[in-house]
Amino acid sequence: MSTTVYIPCDSAARSVGADEVALALLAEAELRGLDISMVRNGSRGMLWLEPLVEVDTVRGRIAYGPVSADDVAALLDGGMLDGAAHPRCHGVTDELPWLARQQRVTFSRVGVIDPLSPADYAAHGGLAGLRAALGMRPTQVVDAVTESGLRGRGGAGFPTGIKWKTVAEASDPTKFLCCNADEGDSGTFADRMLLEGDPFTLIEGMVIAAYAVGAVEGYVYVRSEYPDAIATLRRAVEIAYEEAWLGADVLGRGFPFDLEVRVGAGAYICGEETAMLDSLEGKRGMVRAKPPIPALQGLFGRPTVVNNVLSLATVPAVLAGGAEAYRELGVGRSRGTQVFQLAGNVAQGGIVESAFGLSLRDLVEGFGGGTATGRPVRAVQVGGPLGAYLPADRLDLHLDYEELAADGAMLGHGGVVVFDDTVDMGQQARFAMEFCAEESCGKCTPCRVGAVRGVEVIDAILHGSPDERGANVEILEDLCELMTDGSLCAMGGLTPNPVRSVLRHFGEDLGLTPVSAGAPS
Amino acid sequence: MSVTDHAETPASLVRMANQIAGHAEHKPHDIAVGLVADHLRDFWAPSMRLRLTAYVDSGGQGLSPLALESLDRLR
Amino acid sequence: MSRLAPVDLGTPAVPGLASVQVVVDGIPVVVPPGTSVMRAAASAGIDIPKLCATDSLDAFGSCRLCLVEVDGRPGTPASCTTPCVPGMTVTTQTPRLEKLRRGVMELYISDHPLDCLTCPANGDCELQDMAGVVGLREVRYAEGVNHLEGATDDSNPYFSFDDSKCIACSRCVRACSEVQGTFALTISGRGFDSRVSAGAGELFMESECVSCGACVQACPTSTLQEKSVIDLGVPTRSVKTTCAYCGVGCSFVAELRGDQLVRMVPDKDGGANAGHSCVKGRFAWGYATHRDRQTEPMVRDRITDPWRTVSWEEAISYAAERFLAIQREHGVAAIGGITSSRCTNEEVYVVQKMIRAAFGNNNVDTCARVCHSPTGYGLKQTFGTSAGTQDFASVAEADVVVVIGANPTDGHPVFASRLKRRLREGAELVVIDPRRIDLVRSPHVEAAAHLQLQPGTNVAVVNAIAHVVVTEGLVDRDFVAERCEDDSFADWEAFIARPENSPESMEPITGVPAADVRRVARLYATARNAAIYYGLGVTEHSQGSTMVMGMANLAMATGNIGREGVGVNPLRGQNNVQGSCDMGSFPHELPGYRHVSDPAVRSIFEAVWGRPIDPEPGLRIPNMFDAAIAGRYLGMFIQGEDIAQSDPNVTHVKAALGSLELLVVQDLFLNETAKFAHVFLPGTSFLEKDGTFTNAERRINRVRPVMAPTSGKQEWEVACELATAMGYAMAYSDGAEIMDEIAATTPTFAGVSFARLDELGSLQWPCNDEAPEGTRTMHVDHFVRGKGHFVDTPFVPTDERTSRKFPLILTTGRILTQYNVGAQTRRTENVRWHSEDVIEVHPHDAETRGITTGSAVTITSRVGETVLRAKVSDRVPQGVVYTTFHFPGSGANVVTTDYSDWATNCPEYKVTAVEIAPTSRIPVTDEEMHAEHQPVGDRA
Repeated sequence: MSTTVYIPCDSAARSVGADEVALALLAEAELRGLDISMVRNGSRGMLWLEPLVEVDTVRGRIAYGPVSADDVAALLDGGMLDGAAHPRCHGVTDELPWLARQQRVTFSRVGVIDPLSPADYAAHGGLAGLRAALGMRPTQVVDAVTESGLRGRGGAGFPTGIKWKTVAEASDPTKFLCCNADEGDSGTFADRMLLEGDPFTLIEGMVIAAYAVGAVEGYVYVRSEYPDAIATLRRAVEIAYEEAWLGADVLGRGFPFDLEVRVGAGAYICGEETAMLDSLEGKRGMVRAKPPIPALQGLFGRPTVVNNVLSLATVPAVLAGGAEAYRELGVGRSRGTQVFQLAGNVAQGGIVESAFGLSLRDLVEGFGGGTATGRPVRAVQVGGPLGAYLPADRLDLHLDYEELAADGAMLGHGGVVVFDDTVDMGQQARFAMEFCAEESCGKCTPCRVGAVRGVEVIDAILHGSPDERGANVEILEDLCELMTDGSLCAMGGLTPNPVRSVLRHFGEDLGLTPVSAGAPS
Repeated sequence: MSVTDHAETPASLVRMANQIAGHAEHKPHDIAVGLVADHLRDFWAPSMRLRLTAYVDSGGQGLSPLALESLDRLR
Repeated sequence: MSRLAPVDLGTPAVPGLASVQVVVDGIPVVVPPGTSVMRAAASAGIDIPKLCATDSLDAFGSCRLCLVEVDGRPGTPASCTTPCVPGMTVTTQTPRLEKLRRGVMELYISDHPLDCLTCPANGDCELQDMAGVVGLREVRYAEGVNHLEGATDDSNPYFSFDDSKCIACSRCVRACSEVQGTFALTISGRGFDSRVSAGAGELFMESECVSCGACVQACPTSTLQEKSVIDLGVPTRSVKTTCAYCGVGCSFVAELRGDQLVRMVPDKDGGANAGHSCVKGRFAWGYATHRDRQTEPMVRDRITDPWRTVSWEEAISYAAERFLAIQREHGVAAIGGITSSRCTNEEVYVVQKMIRAAFGNNNVDTCARVCHSPTGYGLKQTFGTSAGTQDFASVAEADVVVVIGANPTDGHPVFASRLKRRLREGAELVVIDPRRIDLVRSPHVEAAAHLQLQPGTNVAVVNAIAHVVVTEGLVDRDFVAERCEDDSFADWEAFIARPENSPESMEPITGVPAADVRRVARLYATARNAAIYYGLGVTEHSQGSTMVMGMANLAMATGNIGREGVGVNPLRGQNNVQGSCDMGSFPHELPGYRHVSDPAVRSIFEAVWGRPIDPEPGLRIPNMFDAAIAGRYLGMFIQGEDIAQSDPNVTHVKAALGSLELLVVQDLFLNETAKFAHVFLPGTSFLEKDGTFTNAERRINRVRPVMAPTSGKQEWEVACELATAMGYAMAYSDGAEIMDEIAATTPTFAGVSFARLDELGSLQWPCNDEAPEGTRTMHVDHFVRGKGHFVDTPFVPTDERTSRKFPLILTTGRILTQYNVGAQTRRTENVRWHSEDVIEVHPHDAETRGITTGSAVTITSRVGETVLRAKVSDRVPQGVVYTTFHFPGSGANVVTTDYSDWATNCPEYKVTAVEIAPTSRIPVTDEEMHAEHQPVGDRA
C-alpha cells in the first residue's frame, strides 16, 4: 500500500531545500522500490522546521524536520515511512503544542491539503461557506460578515461588513472586487503562504463577497516578488473556472463572477489601496486623495470592495461556521483570529493564528521561544515597517487593535519582528525614514520631501555635534508631527510611528538621555 | 482691352448651370425647372445670366435640357 | 500670481444648485453638492493656502498646504479634496494648521533655489506668495540632497523648463492630461526622485508635446516659464482680446509691460476656450511685429514698376481715381472687392458697405466663399439660419460625436481638447474622413468607428447612414411630426429609402463597409445626444452644400437638434468666417443673410446709407476671376486674403489678377496677391484692431487694441476714406459706432453693442429683445425658418475623376502649428515644428512608384504641377495622397482645379486627380519664396 508523504511547495520551504528533499525522496523510493505518493502541500507555518516532511501513518501525520536531501536515505533507513522515531521526528504534527495551541480558522487548511486539489479542498470543508452564502440573500451575507466582527486584516482594521454594505448599496450597476495581495511589509508572509497553501479559500471568499455586493468582476493584485504564489493562484483560478466556482454561472446558481490575477511591478506603495487601483487601471501607482472612498468610486471610478487576502480568506469560515462562532473568538472590538507572522531574531518563527488578546510575550517567548541568538529581547516591531518598536517592558501588551493603539503601536497586518539587545535603535529609526523615502510614491510633500529630510536629520542627531542634538530632535519631532497630520496616505502618516517609538523608548541610541527623550510613562 | 467677350464659349457658366441642374434632376420635371431657375435668379449676377441666355440664343451647345429650360423660364 | 492673475477658487466649479450650507471660519456659505471646502471658503472670501490646487484642474491633494480642521472629525483633511457636507463647520486658521503649513513650506524651500530676486517669476510666483502667506521665516534643515543642479530644457522655442525650480506639484502633468488631453507629460521616478518628464525623459521638442502652453500656465513657479517673460520681465498690465487664428475664437488676456506685449494668456472667462489655448494663439503672435510688416502705403502704375512709398492721402486718392475711371469707362459693375474673414465684423461691414454704397454694386464676396459658403447655404435651406447650432460647451453633453471632414486636434485644437475630455468621460466617437486623423486613436481616445471613405463620397455615406435610420425604424417620429415639415419629410423619406441609397449599394462607391455604416447609423440614431462636427472636408467639394443638407436631414430625422449635446456644427476655419458672412459679405445677401432682392431689407439700409442698393446679386469670387479674364471686371479691392496662394488653380487666379487694371491690396505683408497690385495699403494685425470677431459658436468677442496701429490707421478708417474719396462720404468715430449701425440694421444683432460686450464678455447671436443675453443653442423650440425643411440629397459624383493618367486623389488639410497660407505662422518660431509641406503617400502607392520618405516627388494634375517631399504613411488609404498648404512654395493650389460646389461655387479643394512621380527637382523652400517676396523699389 502506498504511503503518502507531504513535502511543502511553499516558497519558504523551497528556499531551504524542500524541492531537493522531494527529489531525493522520490529517487530513493524508486531505488528501494518503495511505494510512496507525494503531496506538495503548503507550509504548516513552523518555519524553523522547514523543510518539514510529513508521513501519513495510522497515528496521523508524523512530522520530520528540518530535513535536508542528505538526510533522506538515513531517514528511510530509520523507518520514516512508518513514522519511526528519529532525532528529527517531532511526532504527530497536529499534536505539536506550537500548533495545538493555535486557533487556525483562516489558515485551517494551509499545510494540510494539496493546494490545487478541488477534492482535497472540499474534503476539508471547502465551499461550505459559499454554499451557505448562496442560501442567503446578498444583504444577509453582508449582515453576517458585519455581525461576525471581521475587520480588515490589511492593517487599517475597518469593519469588512460595513465596507461591503457601502458597495452593495451604491447605485452604480457596475461594481468591482479587488483583493490586495501586495504584501510588502517586512516580516509579513501570511498572504503569500495562504496563496501558495490554500488559494481556493481566497477564491471562495471572493465569490462570496462578489455575491454579497453585486460585483461581477474581481481582481487579485499580487506583488511580482511572489512568483510561486502567482503561479499557484493562476492555476487555482483556472481550476475554479473548470469547476464552475467562477465564470458565467457560479455553482449553477445563475450569478456570474470573473476573476483575474494581476501582478504588480515592485512598488511598495501599491499596497495602499488607492495606489493599487491606479496600478490596476494601468496607471502609475499613485495614492489618491480620499474622499471619494473606493467603496463609492474605486476601480475605473466604480464602487469597489478592496480587501486584504486574509480578510477575504476568512469569509468562507465566517459563513460556514456562522457569524456568532467567529465572533466568540477575540476580545473587545477585535473579534475572531489574527494570523500573526513571527519573524526576525526569533527561535521559532512562522505563522501563529490565534484569537485576538494573546499577549506579546506569549507570542514572542511562548511561541517564538525567545531570540534565535539566545540573547535578551530588546525590541519588537509590531505591524510592519510602519509599526512602533516596543521595548521589552511592553511585552505584556495584549495583541488587539485597541490595546496596541492606546500604546502608540498598531497591529497592522500582523507582522511581529523581534530584535535582541545588539540592535542599534538609532539605525532602526533612520531605517524607518529611509524606507519611506525609498517607497514613497512622491505625491504629497510631507512624505516625498519629509522622509528624505528625516533621514538627514537623524543622521545629524547620530553623527553631528552633540550641541545641536536637541535642536535636531525638535526638528525631527516637528517633522514627525507634519508627516502624521499632513501626509496623504498611511505610508507617510505612519512612518513617524517607529521613529517616535525610538525617541520614546530608546533615546539613548540617539545619544539622548532617557529623560530628555521622554521617559516611559 | 476690349470689354466684349473673348471669342471663347462661356464654358464655366455652362458647367455651373449644368451642375446646378444635375442636382435637381431627381425631382419631378416642373419642380426641377423651378428650382434651377430660382437658384440662378437668387445667386447669379445678372451679367452672368444675360451672358448665358445670350449663349442659349446662339444655340446653347453643351447645356443640359433641364438647364436650357430653366434659363428659358428666367426670361 | 501677479495682480494680473484672475481669482483662483482652487477647485473646479461643480454644476448644480447651491444647496449645501457649511460654515467656514464663522461665515455661512451655500454651495452645490460636491463642492470642495477650499472652493466654498474661497467663495466666501477666505483664501486657504494652496499650491497644487487651481480651479482649472481636478483636486489632487498633494501639496498639503490647504489642510483645515473640521468640527467633529479627527485630523486635518485637505480642503481641496474634502467635499462640503451639510452642516459642516470648518476652521482654516489655528496654531496647529499654521505650524503644519509652515512645516510644508519649510520642506518645499529646503529643495528650492533661493534666487527669488533674480528669478524671472519674481512677483509672479505662487511658491513665493505662499511662503509669505504661511509666515515661513527660516528653513531649519541643513543642506541635504536636492535638485538645485537640475537641468534646464530650452528646446521649446517659446518656453523653458527649469527642473531646479520644480516643486513636483503635477499641475503641468495634470494640465497636459485633463485640459489639453495630450498626455505628453508625466512624473518619472518615485518619491524624492519624482520629476516632471516630457515623454520618456525626452526633450520637450522631441516629445509628444504640442506646445499648447497649458503646463506653462498651470505652473505655480518659474519652472515652466515663457521665454518672453524671461527676456522682458513680468507683465504689469493687461488687455482682454480675441485670438485671430481659427474659428474657435479663444479669448486672451494680452499681458504687457509698458507698451510691450509680453505674453498671451488664455482667459479663464473666455466663452469659447475657458482658459485654454493652442500653440498658435498663445505663442505665435510674433508676426505682428515682424520686420516683414509693410507699414506704409505704396502705389505703382504697372505691376512691373517698382513700388513707390506714398502718403495715405496719395494712396487713397490714387485708388479712388482709378476705380472711378474704370467705372466711367466700363460701367458700375466693372469693379468689386473681397472682404476678409481675418478682419473684424466692423471692418467687413464697412468694406461691404463701401462696395454696395460707394462702388454701387453687389460685387462683394469673402474668403468664406472658399471654405464655408456651403454651410451658409445648406443650414439656411434646412434650419433657416446660416450658422452652427451649438456652443462648444455643448459637446460635454454629447454621448455620440460624429466628426466629419475635420481634424480638430490640428485645425481646432482647443475644441479638440473639450471633445477629448468628453470622450475620456465615455462618449463614443465616429470619424468620417479619408485620412486616419489623430482622433481616431490617441492617448485615452479611440474612435468607435472610422469610416475611411473615398474623397468625394461624403454624400453617399451620409445618405447611406440616413437610409439605415429610415429603413430600420430609427426615425424620431415625434420630433419630426412636431418640428419638421410633413411634406418635405415624406419626400425625403421616400427618396432616402430607395435601394440605391443603402449602405450596400453605396459600398462600391464609398469604399466603406456597409456593416460599419449600419453600426454608425444605429449608434448615432439611438444615442441620448448625438452631435455632428464638421469641417472643410465636408464643404470643399462639388457636393459641399448637399452634404451640409444631408447632415441637417440626419440630425432632424433623429431629433438631434435644439438642445445641449446635439446639433450640426461647422468648425470654422478662420477667426471671423462666421462674422464676415453675417456682415453681408456675400454678393446676394445684405447683413443678417437677407437677400438683396428683398425691397424691405434694402430700404432699411438705403435709409441709413443714403444710397440705393442694387437689387440683383453681384459676382462671386470665381465669377470675378472669369469676368476679369473676359475683360469685363477690371478693378478689385482685396482685404486680408492672399488669393494668389489660397484659391484653387492659382494659375487661373493669377491670370485673372494680371488682367486687372487696378488691384488694391490691403494686408500685413506683401503677399503673393500683392505681386499683382497697383496699390498696397498697410493693414492692422489683430493686436491693433478695435472691433469684434464672431466665432463658430456665433459668439461675438471683443477685439481690443493691444498696441497702436503700425500704419497709423484702423482698416475701417481706410475703407471710409476710400469710399469718401470716391464720392460717398463715410465716417465713424470708432468701432463701437459701426457696431451700433449693424445693430440698428440687423435684427439678429439688435442687442449687441460694445458696452454690452464689455459687460457680458461675449454674446452669441441672435441677440435682441427676445434673447437679450444671446443664444447658446439654436432652434430650441422651433426652427428659425419655422418647421425644419428636409432636402433630397442625391449623390452626384464630381466631374473630377481619376484616370490612368491621374490615378490618385489628392486631398488637403492643415497641421497644428501652421495656419492656412502661413503668412502669420511662417513668421514665427512655429516653423520649428513644420518647416515645409510634405505629401503623404500610402506605402503601396509609394512602393510601386519608387518613392520613399524624404524623396522629392512631382504632383501633377490636369491643371498644374508642383514638387513636394514625400512622407510614406498609412494614415492615407491606398489611392489617396494628402498634403497641407501652408507654404507658398508648396504650390498645392497650383494643382487644384476649378471644380466647385454646385450651389455656392466653394472650390473642390478636397478632390484632385493627380499622379505623383519621383523627381530630381528640389521643392521650393520657404527662404527662396521669401527672397522672391522682398519689397521692391525704395523699400528694398
